[in-house]
Amino acid sequence: MTDQFPRKKKLHILHKTANFPCMCKALLISIVIPTFAIVLSACKGDSPIDRYTQKKILVLGNSAEPQGLDPQIVTGVPENNIIRSIFEGLCVEHPSKEGVHMPGAAASWDSSDDFTEWTFHLQPNGQWSDGTPLTADDFLFSFQRMLHPNFGAEYASMLYYIEGAEAYNKGQAEDFSHVGVSAPDPYTLNIRLKAPTPFLPELTKHYSWFPVPKHIILKHGTIDQRNTPWTEPEHIASNGAFTLKTWRFNDYIAVEKNPRYWDHATVKLNGIRFLPISNQYTEARMFFNQQLHTTYSLAPEMIEYASNQYQPYLRQETYLGTSFIRFNVTDPKLMDLKVRQALALSIDSQAIIDHVLKGGQTPAYGIVPPTADYHTPKVVTFDPERARKLLAEAGYGNSKKLRLTLLSTDKEVSKRISEAYQDMWKKHLGAEVSIEQREWKTYLARMAELDYQLVISGWIGDYPDPTTFLEMWKKGDGNNRTGWSNEAYEALLAQAEQIKDPAQRLRTLEKAEALFLSEMPIIPIYWYTSNYLLHTSVKGWHPLLLNNHPYKFVDLVQPTQP
Amino acid sequence: MSKNAQNNAALKGHSLWSDAWIRLKKNHMAMISLVVLLIIGTLCFIIPAFSFIPDPNTQNLNNTFQDPSGNHLLGTDQSGRDLLARLLYGGQISLLVGLVATTVSVIIGLSYGAIAGYAGGKTDSIMMRIVDILYGLPFLVLVILFSLLISEHAKDLTESLINRWPDHEVVIKKLINLVPLFVAIGALGWLTMARVARAQVISLKKQEFVEAAVSLGLSHPKILLRHIIPNMLGPIIVYATLTVPGFVLTEATLSFLGLGVESPNSSWGILLSEGANYMETYPRLLIIPSITFSLTLFALNFLGDGLRDALDPKAAKD
Repeated sequence: MTDQFPRKKKLHILHKTANFPCMCKALLISIVIPTFAIVLSACKGDSPIDRYTQKKILVLGNSAEPQGLDPQIVTGVPENNIIRSIFEGLCVEHPSKEGVHMPGAAASWDSSDDFTEWTFHLQPNGQWSDGTPLTADDFLFSFQRMLHPNFGAEYASMLYYIEGAEAYNKGQAEDFSHVGVSAPDPYTLNIRLKAPTPFLPELTKHYSWFPVPKHIILKHGTIDQRNTPWTEPEHIASNGAFTLKTWRFNDYIAVEKNPRYWDHATVKLNGIRFLPISNQYTEARMFFNQQLHTTYSLAPEMIEYASNQYQPYLRQETYLGTSFIRFNVTDPKLMDLKVRQALALSIDSQAIIDHVLKGGQTPAYGIVPPTADYHTPKVVTFDPERARKLLAEAGYGNSKKLRLTLLSTDKEVSKRISEAYQDMWKKHLGAEVSIEQREWKTYLARMAELDYQLVISGWIGDYPDPTTFLEMWKKGDGNNRTGWSNEAYEALLAQAEQIKDPAQRLRTLEKAEALFLSEMPIIPIYWYTSNYLLHTSVKGWHPLLLNNHPYKFVDLVQPTQP
Repeated sequence: MSKNAQNNAALKGHSLWSDAWIRLKKNHMAMISLVVLLIIGTLCFIIPAFSFIPDPNTQNLNNTFQDPSGNHLLGTDQSGRDLLARLLYGGQISLLVGLVATTVSVIIGLSYGAIAGYAGGKTDSIMMRIVDILYGLPFLVLVILFSLLISEHAKDLTESLINRWPDHEVVIKKLINLVPLFVAIGALGWLTMARVARAQVISLKKQEFVEAAVSLGLSHPKILLRHIIPNMLGPIIVYATLTVPGFVLTEATLSFLGLGVESPNSSWGILLSEGANYMETYPRLLIIPSITFSLTLFALNFLGDGLRDALDPKAAKD
């Protein structure tokens, strides 16, 4: 009996004292090891980026997990960045000059005087990454697949410049041989256009004109089948400067140098890694921690922060793109033009640029970014007074509130912009708009299915011409996504196609845009500026209007230590 | 306990609850926590009713990232909204989620566990194996799936409610907005509570007062409700207090992942997730919500510990 007490006490004390050093140890481990690791890495003096630079592997922030890698299905910029590295069109971008075309899959080309008949001479040693020769037949197959009515490519209208393409795509003509493309021999490609198109080489730089490997695609399905496994790393064959090596979902996509590329001597990089980082703040932080060579974009506060602390890395360049809000005009509430106008007139773009975006963007009053020759019609302004009046005329007021849902992406900045719109509509119109944030793939799918009321959108030009912003609003175009169409508008575009005088053509396009804006299926918000961070070790990366930096000319050089 | 001791207690007029209160008062950490919680609760639920706190969702784009000043005691956030107001309104939501979800989980867990424990035998085995299976599933994934499922229905419900009572739109929206969270967290968080309740019932049902009740011919529901459940409230309250911070944390996790309350409303999880974006540029937006949040969680945990020591001395740590 008596023995028990002291023993118990002893145990108790032992227990307590044993516990204390244990906790200390845990604390020590949790503090000391990371510190040690940081010190160690600092001593070694090479960050992840230095190691990648030595290996000549470019590491890019790429915003989102791509929708896919089939050039004939995708529509987004993150996809474009990857596809441009593994596939190559007839012409490629010049690394620094706008409007200069470098030979790509085509070694040379010529056109008739009126720019309707084009002949492309393919690279004689052009081949796919699996060694199969790349011939004009692959191009014919690609165009046919792109235009196949059952395939339903969103970007099919990019090929409507070709004679007979539109009819074939819309199922009005069954026979593909009526489409104006032909291959007199395996290395010659003839393209006959329906109207004079001097900027055809620009179009061929876009992935909708890229060749796709006929032999691989037909192995995994038929010509009109979507989403077959041909784009998986173990199946794919590509013709670009790089080939797809690994695709780790939500982690990274890695491409490596293609030894069978016709111009492999020019390619300096050994590979590229695309990281789907959707949070811009995380992305900037990764750049500051030396984990990325370049960011996809830059968050508003980070622009100021970078300009103070990381000035040599900050890039601010003109970018041919427009941010806008799409209306689903098939929605019963949004069918009413007055409601759309009211919503449009109550957005103060300048305030959003000054206080949310802070990146030197320009408030947009139309869809086409104005150039020296093209004068965008000024239709949309900020006028809350008129907006209120229009909404009252449409029958909404205090007793009957306007309730809508705005679809947005899951990015932090999209959320802030969406909240700013939400607040402006509430303040100026008394409208209750709720926000739905969805990740990139769902966002694109919902937009394509018209499963939304309002959606924040952006459009980056595919080639430097106003039509890249105007063609997509035609009826049934895969990128229209508003349900809006207008015959008079399409007639004006068709009329512009036939006009030979460039100035006269632009005046007609301006007329078409004015008509489009007066119907208001969208609210233009701002014209883009590209803000991003670029590491000083990246060479051959020059400002380009479309931001399509050709990777084959990019090099990585370790900056010499001071 | 001897008869003598019981008599003494009766003479001094000490009930179980007053005893517990005396013990709790001696625990300084628990008392400080109680005061802290009362202050935070008052601030979150009463202060926003006064007009000097601005609306938490009204933006002022000319006034973003303002430092603390007379107009905005804690400054403004990235959209020019008052941080104090967002913190207090966010606290309402976070604390409400904690409390309501705990209540839901106590109701489900207590009845489930009590029935299983009281019935015993095969019924008990089957009911508890179901709990074991649910335990094996990842909680957060289930909550996310569940809340997505409910939120679709909640949307329709909101519209029909607003159409019926258009005047109370703001309140309806705010509450319905939270229903998926409440239900999802509460409906999946009762498992441990069920185990605790079952263990208590099993230890109580062998005791003399239950046998007395049985021999008097009372029905089973009556025995459970009148005799067993009141006697196990102590441990249940203790456990519930310790669950609240867990649920507040779950709400924060969900909101941090973008699955919590709807924009532009705030909750502490949302404030933390937004603030994390500005940690280099405007650290205040991360630090202030973090401090409030951690303080609340600490206080709830200390209070829970204190209550356990007070109400259930047998289960105390040492």
